[in-house]
Amino acid sequence: MSEIEKNTPEEAEVQEVQTSEDTAAAAEAPEGFGEPIKAVKPEKKHRLSYEKRKGLYGYGFIAIWALGTIYFFILPLIESLIYSFNKTTVQPGGMEMKFVGWQNYVNAFRKDQDYSLALVNMLKNTALRTPLILIFAIFIAIILNQKFHGRTFARAVFFLPVIIATGPVIDIINGNMSTGGYAGGSEQFSTMFEADLVDQLLNFLGIYNISDKLTETITSLTSDIFNLVWNSGIQILLILSALQGISPASKEAAQMEGATSWEFFWKITLPHISPMILASVVYTVVDSFVDPQNEVMTIVLNKSTNWEHGYSAAMAWAYFAIIAVCLAIIVAIINKFVYYEVD
Amino acid sequence: MATKKEEKQFEKERKAAIKARHKKMKEEGIEKYLTPDQIKYNRRRAMIGAVWPIFRFLILFGLCFIILYPLIFMLSTAFRPNEQMNDPSIVWIPKSFTLDNINDVWKVMKFDTTVVNTVVLNLIASCLQVVTCSITGYGFARFKFKGKNILFAIVILMIIVPPQITTIPLYMQYAYFKPQFLAKILTGGETSLIDSGWTMYLPALFANGLRAGLFIFIFRQFFKGLPKELEDAAYLDGCSPLYTYVKIMIPNAKQSFLTVFLFSIVWYWNDYYVSSSFFTKNDTVALMLKNLNTNLTQQLFDGQSVSVRQIIVWLEAGCLLSITPILVMYVFLQRYFIEGIERSGLAN
Repeated sequence: MSEIEKNTPEEAEVQEVQTSEDTAAAAEAPEGFGEPIKAVKPEKKHRLSYEKRKGLYGYGFIAIWALGTIYFFILPLIESLIYSFNKTTVQPGGMEMKFVGWQNYVNAFRKDQDYSLALVNMLKNTALRTPLILIFAIFIAIILNQKFHGRTFARAVFFLPVIIATGPVIDIINGNMSTGGYAGGSEQFSTMFEADLVDQLLNFLGIYNISDKLTETITSLTSDIFNLVWNSGIQILLILSALQGISPASKEAAQMEGATSWEFFWKITLPHISPMILASVVYTVVDSFVDPQNEVMTIVLNKSTNWEHGYSAAMAWAYFAIIAVCLAIIVAIINKFVYYEVD
Repeated sequence: MATKKEEKQFEKERKAAIKARHKKMKEEGIEKYLTPDQIKYNRRRAMIGAVWPIFRFLILFGLCFIILYPLIFMLSTAFRPNEQMNDPSIVWIPKSFTLDNINDVWKVMKFDTTVVNTVVLNLIASCLQVVTCSITGYGFARFKFKGKNILFAIVILMIIVPPQITTIPLYMQYAYFKPQFLAKILTGGETSLIDSGWTMYLPALFANGLRAGLFIFIFRQFFKGLPKELEDAAYLDGCSPLYTYVKIMIPNAKQSFLTVFLFSIVWYWNDYYVSSSFFTKNDTVALMLKNLNTNLTQQLFDGQSVSVRQIIVWLEAGCLLSITPILVMYVFLQRYFIEGIERSGLAN
């Protein structure tokens, strides 16, 4: 500190930064840091405080992103919102628009036969599948968190779908090729084991014809195990990462107290991983909504390839609004049960 | 700190000691040491310990089979002569092997040029994306400024808004790129950026590439998890924030850089939605695979419509070709994919 005179201007600037921080520190502990303030004469001429300078640097760090986001995200977003209120025709040199107000939205819900139906189906499917994927992911993550031979291999395999399933490969695997009509991998897979097990099981238990709808639902879920497994890679990973945050000490303590694994799961594991469960739910919902292969997206994209951009934008925005509301409700509900560790 | 070897030694000794104690307890009669409840509890634990591994193995084996099934099917069909596809006596292993399918698909997909093109696109876009996303993530993690929460809400919005909403306006923006001289410089004379790699590089350069929101989020979580003392020390030593970031934070964040980079590569490799919107001639592996069906019928069957059953061997061969590079990468770098996410503070 006493060598301050020798410093170059740049270093002096740094010293200034240091001083102001020292001042902050000194306010908390007056005795310990009293000296440095005296030693350096702060140059107060249009210099910003440390905090403010740091704030400015913050803007500097996100500047690139902010610029890009305005151009590549916000503007297109607003543009497409404008499309949705217009009748658009594509012209050489740009888009010609005629304002039609809410007409596109009304058409989407009132006139289009497929749109509302697809929307309802989509919501139903997601509502059914999300809890299943979640339970499955938690189950698998707990298994994969145990110690056994070949664990690395098992983990690698369970994570494999994330690498492959985002691409067009899954289309071919799923047999959803544009030609259609081909029973691809997944269906073929299901038929391999198709034995109407659900009905047989219910009959075996002495239950006959309680409800066709129920058996149908169960059957559709069980035969969908392929998609279930293939869509839960990220969720397994998220929960696995949360599981590894549970300290071995709590496990030992629980064993000492004589807790069964079942109790341990409900009292310790579940609260601990609950924030990650929330994250997984959000991921699952967003993932299934955004998937270009789901019914609604197919309709939206078809409209857009038919050059009805305004109409397609209206559909997409209505869809997005519904997603956002759903997500908000889900997050609000789950947030009540999430346990945040207070550090 | 004990080394790993020593720790193993300790573990061994501990186990031996427990065994000896148990033996002693048994000889003297267990009832003397434990209450009936404890005995029951221990017995149950021992039973579960014996049975559970078997169940676990069965469950995992079954599920692994489900996951690997399409890959096995791919391997089985890709090397199978087309005639043997309808042979009911063949389930998995064909009677003879052939490389014809792979060769045909290679030609149809123009695989050599396509793959080079895709790799170049991927690498440049991913590198740009990782750098800019990490800078942004660091800005969000470590600095306080006005409007930070609103800006971060935009990041979250970027994750949630499906790319399909913004594609058409983006297309218009690229096709009639505004500062025209810039477009001319970038593409070498053209006024439209469509079909040039810049439709991928530009967003990546400005931290708006594929799933950039998610990457920014991951980086923010990770940087938040690093101890603050690191930077404070650097500040006191006279580093500017940028210098601190380059010299202190990047070396510490190597792992999460690698993870994000790998994910970025995988997602760019697999992306066909964005690239099919902006590319009409510029071919990537994913696009080629998407159009493989049409191209196959045109080039192998002279445009006659064929049922998928007839061209399944070529389709599966194409799948195999296009996932092989990514799969090889995954096999070697698998632990970075998994551990990276686990450590990079997503668990927060």
